[in-house]
Amino acid sequence: MRDPIDFELFKNALFAVADEMALTIFRTSYSGVLKNNMDYSTAVATADGRLAAQGLTIPGHLGSVPTALQSVLARFGAAIAPGDIYIMNDPYAGGMHLPDIFMFAPVFAEGQHIAFACTVCHHTDVGGRVAGSNAADSTEIYAEGLRIPPTRLYAAGIPNDTMFDLIDTNVRMPGKVRGDLRAQLAACTIGERAILDLVARHGLAETIAYMDDSIAHAERLTRAAIRLLPEGRFSFEDWIDDDGVDFGKPIRLHVTFEKRGDTLNADWSGSAPQVKGAINGTLGWTKAATYCAVKCILPQDIPNNEGVFRAIEVLALPGTITNMQLPAACAARGLSGFRMMDCALGALAGMLPDKIPAASDGGNTGISIGGYDIERKPFIYVEFVAGGWGARPWADGADGHSSLMANMASYSVEVTESEYPVQCLAYELVRDREGAGRYRGGTPFRRDYRFLEAEATLQVRSDRREIRPYGLQGGQPGAPSLNILNPEGEARVLPSKLTMTIHRGDVLRHEIAGPGGWGDPLDRDPEAVLKDVRNDIVSHARAEACYGVILTGRTINHEATEARRATIRAERNWAEPPAVSRTPSHPNADRREL
Amino acid sequence: MPAFRIGIDIGGTFTDIVLMSEDGSFRTKKISSSVENYARAIAEGLSEALAEYGIETPAITELRHATTVGSNAILEQKGAKIGLLGTKGFRDILQIRNLRLPRLYDLAWDKPPPLVERYLRRTVDERVETSGTIARPLNEQEATAEIQTLLAEGVEAIAICLINSFANPAHERRLRELVATLAPNLPCCLSSDVLPEMGEYERTSTTVVNTYVLPVVARYLATLQADLATAGITAPLRLMQSNGGLTTANEAARLPMNIVESGPAAGVVGARAVSERLGLSDMISFDMGGTTAKASLIEGGRYSRSPEYQVGGGVIMGSRLLTGAGYLLKVPAIDLAEVGAGGGSIVWIDAGGSLQIGPHSAASSPGPVCYDTGGTEPTVTDAVLTLGYINPAYLVNGRLRLNAAKARAVFQDRIATPLGLSLERAAHGAYEIAVARMMRAIRAVSTERGRDPRRFGLFAFGGNGPVFGAAMARELGISRVVIPPSPGLFSAFGLLYAEVEHHRSRSFRAPLGTNAAAMETTWSAMAAEVLALLEAECFPQARRQVERLAALRYHGQAFELTIPVLEGPLNLPALGEAFGQEHEKTYGHRAGPEEPIDVISLAVIARGIPERAAVPEHIRVAVPEETTRPGPRQAYFGPRHGWQETPVLFRSDLTTPITGPAIIEEYGSTCVVPPGFSAKLDGYGNIVLEKEAVLF
Repeated sequence: MRDPIDFELFKNALFAVADEMALTIFRTSYSGVLKNNMDYSTAVATADGRLAAQGLTIPGHLGSVPTALQSVLARFGAAIAPGDIYIMNDPYAGGMHLPDIFMFAPVFAEGQHIAFACTVCHHTDVGGRVAGSNAADSTEIYAEGLRIPPTRLYAAGIPNDTMFDLIDTNVRMPGKVRGDLRAQLAACTIGERAILDLVARHGLAETIAYMDDSIAHAERLTRAAIRLLPEGRFSFEDWIDDDGVDFGKPIRLHVTFEKRGDTLNADWSGSAPQVKGAINGTLGWTKAATYCAVKCILPQDIPNNEGVFRAIEVLALPGTITNMQLPAACAARGLSGFRMMDCALGALAGMLPDKIPAASDGGNTGISIGGYDIERKPFIYVEFVAGGWGARPWADGADGHSSLMANMASYSVEVTESEYPVQCLAYELVRDREGAGRYRGGTPFRRDYRFLEAEATLQVRSDRREIRPYGLQGGQPGAPSLNILNPEGEARVLPSKLTMTIHRGDVLRHEIAGPGGWGDPLDRDPEAVLKDVRNDIVSHARAEACYGVILTGRTINHEATEARRATIRAERNWAEPPAVSRTPSHPNADRREL
Repeated sequence: MPAFRIGIDIGGTFTDIVLMSEDGSFRTKKISSSVENYARAIAEGLSEALAEYGIETPAITELRHATTVGSNAILEQKGAKIGLLGTKGFRDILQIRNLRLPRLYDLAWDKPPPLVERYLRRTVDERVETSGTIARPLNEQEATAEIQTLLAEGVEAIAICLINSFANPAHERRLRELVATLAPNLPCCLSSDVLPEMGEYERTSTTVVNTYVLPVVARYLATLQADLATAGITAPLRLMQSNGGLTTANEAARLPMNIVESGPAAGVVGARAVSERLGLSDMISFDMGGTTAKASLIEGGRYSRSPEYQVGGGVIMGSRLLTGAGYLLKVPAIDLAEVGAGGGSIVWIDAGGSLQIGPHSAASSPGPVCYDTGGTEPTVTDAVLTLGYINPAYLVNGRLRLNAAKARAVFQDRIATPLGLSLERAAHGAYEIAVARMMRAIRAVSTERGRDPRRFGLFAFGGNGPVFGAAMARELGISRVVIPPSPGLFSAFGLLYAEVEHHRSRSFRAPLGTNAAAMETTWSAMAAEVLALLEAECFPQARRQVERLAALRYHGQAFELTIPVLEGPLNLPALGEAFGQEHEKTYGHRAGPEEPIDVISLAVIARGIPERAAVPEHIRVAVPEETTRPGPRQAYFGPRHGWQETPVLFRSDLTTPITGPAIIEEYGSTCVVPPGFSAKLDGYGNIVLEKEAVLF
């Protein structure tokens, strides 16, 4: 390595570039998806497309930039010139799903191409059959919207008007999409300027070398951390309820982690073949889910770049849900990513039982309500909700926390009501839905929406209705998620994934699933149970049935509690607590008709 | 006897008291902050100082105070037991927050616990629509029962926040009446009073924080005033607000949310005022202490303010993008970016072989290795001592002796040898990396807002600010650094420069250009409220000034910019143009005139203009009693300059300008003048460092 002080100063400045680009998008973007959910990423890559620094925004985009950038390099290679800007979104050319549009600005110093300033943003709409371009029930990529292969958006500073017109013509809200593309452009410009500043400060040759060193440094840190993990093979399986097209057909996810020396290998073989519904993942998406899970067990301060990924090998067979092939649809692949991450954590729980929580709510749930108002003006309300973490080996699961992989914010109820034809009737925690355990799962919540326009298309992508969030080490599975139409009236139970027409006054209730518990519920501190009862998130009845805690008003009846717990122990007759508890015990057991 | 104004700033370890005479001379006093009863300690410390300096109580014309009593109550969860009344279906707004996490990939992270537990959060059947229309009437019978439940639990105050109450506060007001019927003296805070703006989480959190600290702050202020009165001090007591303005003790007790971050604001207030006297209107204030460094931007003579912040949110961990670690308070505050880099920050080598600074700090206990108080990890202060910048024998007039040999040994063993560097290069590397870390704070308030730091001067203070000021300036491309007298106590001085200010804001959602009359009406209503406060504080009409502001954004954007409105009748095109210009300045681009602009909220700031400045033009800097200067010593200024024989001076020696390298020692701080910088004293007692035009 070169001068360690100069290198550290460079590295500090390099990551600041990625963060400054991220802030630019945060501040200038138009759509709520970017501002509230921060569903975007920024990065600096080397001229040959390796990720040197990624900003801290959405974990789900980890590792997506190099895949996308490679396709631009393959298509344009040596023709890349100063003033060019490249865009693409095609999942079959290195993209993720169509709403995520990548934008790359090559950076030239002294006539030499040295880096790329990179951004990727989730856009409000990219056309296709359902507003928001997020439908879970499309069966081919061709129905999902505008596919953009690697394309020059600017050639030597001259805008490609044909491309802009094509986008404007194909998307439902060209104003918002244009505004967000502008934010991406601004971030690329800021990134380019900042990279040139690095060159001015540290020198051209040093800048190029230090970018490589940053990657090597992260790799050393990652390998050093992996070396400390227990050796061996650790497998886990889990199921997605269905793909929203073939109802009643569970979809298997399976992963095996193998740790040898300073390398961690994740093999997704055994996962289901790709499905008709739009929840298939690209290989890049599977990698992102794997990296996210592994980063949770690595030290917090490892820089975010390609060096981390070099130490983690990911294998996913083509034609499976973890590595889809044309023409599979993928708009709602968020679902499988979150579940792959939970599945990967499940395998890591075998390696590090004291570090890994039980299953989360499986989120997030995507809800969109789109249509046209009386003046034929389009509206699209898109929201992603998640909120419950599984219980941890040392503490209860968190509630009101975003999914780890997405880190999205919820919309303000009041802002929603002022801007969309939607009224929110409830947003609060739900009692008795958590997975019980020595440490219980986070408390899930419900949201009730009332629709106020004449007619709209409602689309929901949720899961964990049939296959509930699993518990660990004797902890119980959580309650299933729920969608109910007009809960105060017809109270019709809707499937977990749906696209339907709704009318003025219709109310949708969505409850997220209850996260799993950790450890034997009978070992839970009765004081903690009392506190939950007092806070009305666990009922008296459940305190007794699941936790064996008998309360008299606000006091614990210790004698009765001991007796009750002894009875439950005798009835269930465990040799030792089950490592994993599932409901149903197997996906094909005990299925009920919708 | 000349009149005295007194500034009292509570810090982590010490409470600083500055007694400023109208003739420009001043005295200072430090008392320990670690006492059970702050109010008593202040009254006693002040009495001692008065006796010591022979000042009689009638000579005191005003007391100004920055206090951590509010923020401590929040951080230590020692506020009041309060109840929260909300709308049915929305019991958990306070707990769910906005879902986002301030840390990624961290399975162990938990939100700070809600300030009101769920069983004390009650809901009532009612509903107001976004238009303000009442969709469901308030169920008063149920409301009464819920209030009785809270009273039976023994709450000391009640916060009320209903959905859409910013559009129609009728139900919140009726609930307050019901509370008053059952408990006439119970404090009751309405969200529609505290923050009449859209956004139920922000409004709930702010109202709850205000209610939670209210009984604590009110008690503290009452005790302090009583103790001061006992000591014969009856001068008016004013409190520093997070927004940089002063308010009365009464108003602070009513809206304590405004004084939560009062200490850090005071330093910036002082930086602005001192800079203004020097004719410098664009400055970055840089305050570096033992554990953190804070930066703030002053542009065109104005503070930059942020509309909200997190109490206990901690320092910038990696990025400003990750917020939500503390308790959200949506009140305007001087915008400070803070990083975990200070004298006590630990210097270490990561597993990849890279030199790192902080965020862990040895703080004051066990302290840096050179303090010889048990510290074993090398710190920034140990690096600075190894470089020869600080004097092991002189710190705090020789009251604190440092063990330089220990500092050198730990740097050699823990840093230099493993990295294969010379001792001085390792120590200088730590110094440079500390500079790079602190750049994050400065970038957060400048480049990340579209401001080029090279246009600004640097105003450096805090115990370590003057040690790093010139190096920071060089890194930022800034050519001038101002270091005020007594930089270590400067926040207490800052209090003396503040002026009375009251802020109000309100949601106002409409396209710009359609509602001029309604905008005027809204501003007038808010102005009447704050002008009444100024009148009550005896500011004559001519000395009351009201500024109007509008928060605007392009239609469809999710983030607004606050634009001051020109005086006189409302000129909408001019306001739109000012917004466009600010957008361009901040983001580098603006939309065309066809892009509609939305008004999001309106605000007013009322200022009470003092008859004359609270601090005299010229401060008399005391000349140290010692006359013998410490001899020159060797100091290391990086590989290019190497070790240099460096003269050591006192501030008062700078009447003749000098060129670096030089070290200026004074009580409580050390100013480093590296090669390539000159130093001189201006007419106000400030040290001014300037980068020489040509560097070698």
